Amino acid sequence: MTSPAPISPPSRIEELWKRIGGILEGEGPLPGRIAEAALVATGARDATIYLRERDAWVRAGERLAGRVEPGEIPEPLPEGAFVREGDLWVPLAAEGEIHGILRLLDVPSGEPPEQTALLAFLFGSLVGAHRLARLVRDAEFELKARLLELESLYDLGLSLAGQLDLSSLADEVLFRSISLTDAGKGTLVLFEASGAVQLSRSVGGDLLAARDAIGWTIPEGGAINNAAASVPTAGMKLATCQKCLAVAISVPGRILGILAVADKESRDGRVLDFTATDARLLSLFANQAAAAIETARLHREAIEKERIERELELAAAIQRQILPRDLPRVEGLEVAARNIPTRHVGGDYFDFFPLSGGRLGFLVADVSGKGVPAALLVSTVHAAVHLQIDEAKTIADLVARIDRHLQRYAATRKFLTAFFGVVEPDTGRLRYVSAGHNPALLRRASGAIEQVKATGLPIGMFPNATWREETLTMGEGDLLCVYTDGVTEALDASEEEFGLERLQRVLSGSGDASPAELCRRVFEQVEEFAADVPQYDDQTLLLVRRRRASR
Amino acid sequence: VSETCKVSSERRGDVAILWTDGYINNQGGEEIAREAYAHLGQGARALVLNLEKTRIVNSIGISILIEVLEKVMDRKGVLAFCGLTPTIDKTFRIMGLAQYAQIYPSQDEALRGVGRPTA
Repeated sequence: MTSPAPISPPSRIEELWKRIGGILEGEGPLPGRIAEAALVATGARDATIYLRERDAWVRAGERLAGRVEPGEIPEPLPEGAFVREGDLWVPLAAEGEIHGILRLLDVPSGEPPEQTALLAFLFGSLVGAHRLARLVRDAEFELKARLLELESLYDLGLSLAGQLDLSSLADEVLFRSISLTDAGKGTLVLFEASGAVQLSRSVGGDLLAARDAIGWTIPEGGAINNAAASVPTAGMKLATCQKCLAVAISVPGRILGILAVADKESRDGRVLDFTATDARLLSLFANQAAAAIETARLHREAIEKERIERELELAAAIQRQILPRDLPRVEGLEVAARNIPTRHVGGDYFDFFPLSGGRLGFLVADVSGKGVPAALLVSTVHAAVHLQIDEAKTIADLVARIDRHLQRYAATRKFLTAFFGVVEPDTGRLRYVSAGHNPALLRRASGAIEQVKATGLPIGMFPNATWREETLTMGEGDLLCVYTDGVTEALDASEEEFGLERLQRVLSGSGDASPAELCRRVFEQVEEFAADVPQYDDQTLLLVRRRRASR
Repeated sequence: VSETCKVSSERRGDVAILWTDGYINNQGGEEIAREAYAHLGQGARALVLNLEKTRIVNSIGISILIEVLEKVMDRKGVLAFCGLTPTIDKTFRIMGLAQYAQIYPSQDEALRGVGRPTA
């Protein structure tokens, strides 16, 4: 087969195609260049290019104003060129599909039909390629948008994993949710465990009043895609929006908050329905937010626990510093004392004061409260006693001075019970004040036990209180046992208390055991009784026995 | 955060600086485009978009910014962004804006990058 011989075109047409070629190869948007080339080719006064964009026609080269008015383009569109109201309409087709329309105004008569067909073919191919390029570009944009969603989920996960500030966390989740769903507005509300609103964030105005959010009934893990959100649905009352999408931020068994976006935007200004992809994306964001909020909460709890532990250690250290390290050696007396602090450090305190004339002063106190406040109160009492003991004329005077000190310097509603005693070894005379303290036990050498009851109110409880100082005589071999309620109120597994009776039995049944041995036995019995049940109050025991005269 | 994006601008020689304040969505994007086209029409060679008061951009806002970029490129001009949050920075890079527009940390660096204003 031989090639047809080339046809040499007339010079006018050759010149025309050169000009058209020059225009088409020029700069600027292709539809504009096609329109310009069409004017040159046809001699028309004006030209408009219509392009098919998805399912609608738009005027090329214009922005939103390029939307075509109803009826502007004839429907159905004829396949070939046609004249309508004096304008020449040339459908631009390629591969059997019309991709655009060339509309020519005031075309000079006498345009050869074959030339119009040639232009239609040429411009149709170009517009088809242009449209294909736009479709590829749109598809690429969509693909990038999906990639952005995936990247955002990944970034949000990373970002939230280290985000312990709820406010920043809420902003991050809300901004990304609005951005990636193309929403016009959004709201995120978080609740306290009590159900009260903890935090509320909005873009473009509140979608709901925070107080109304509590009444929302979004199912856990579910989404509400409400196309007419101005109508209350599923307990929601959304204001100032046309369409909304809302999901619960939840962990198993509890709704932590609500994430809502509204009024999905379109390029032409319409409000669109949210899609299933939007709902899935919002749910994924909500899941990540829930995990981050739980992490932040657990972190706060861990910090609080650590703070309490540190406080308890500090309180225990204060208490250790205050309690005497050595027991006093006093002629005619045997003493023993021990304090067992619990994990929840209370405020037990005991002390000895060797006094003139061979006398021995001693004290057992139990302050109100626990932890550092109680330890500090013990510290205050310790300082007050040591400052005032040489100044006070009597034990009652000493107690009154300490009371005034506490009324003046200690925080309100702080008080202590205490047993102060001063014993003279030679005579066995014991002077004492029991300020609201549990009854001390005096075990006579015979084994009989007497209770030594309170002689006044706890110290620091009421202003201007007074205390009565009492005296009793300890015979040789008599033993005084002063303790705090941590001993008698030690609990076993059935929450039964060790009790005063058991303590008395240990004391009366211990024969001639030394105070040190007796002290050991009491704590042994208490420990055996309580087994492994953790105790919540300090246990303190102080024993003073008057020696028998050597024979 | 307001849903309405405000756009202000200033001309420095052949460079126009545009400041956005708010959500760059359809409305915000249109505001930017209107302002940008006005400056291009008056002969601006370079546009610097300072987004330091913007924390959210959606896909429609991005598509409008791409249109602005195309128009700037048609005129052989330059478009630069500055003051982007890390999230918006990454968004622009993924969506391809950074391929043809320049991104600078600060306005001063952007102005230096697009060339000093001629007046």
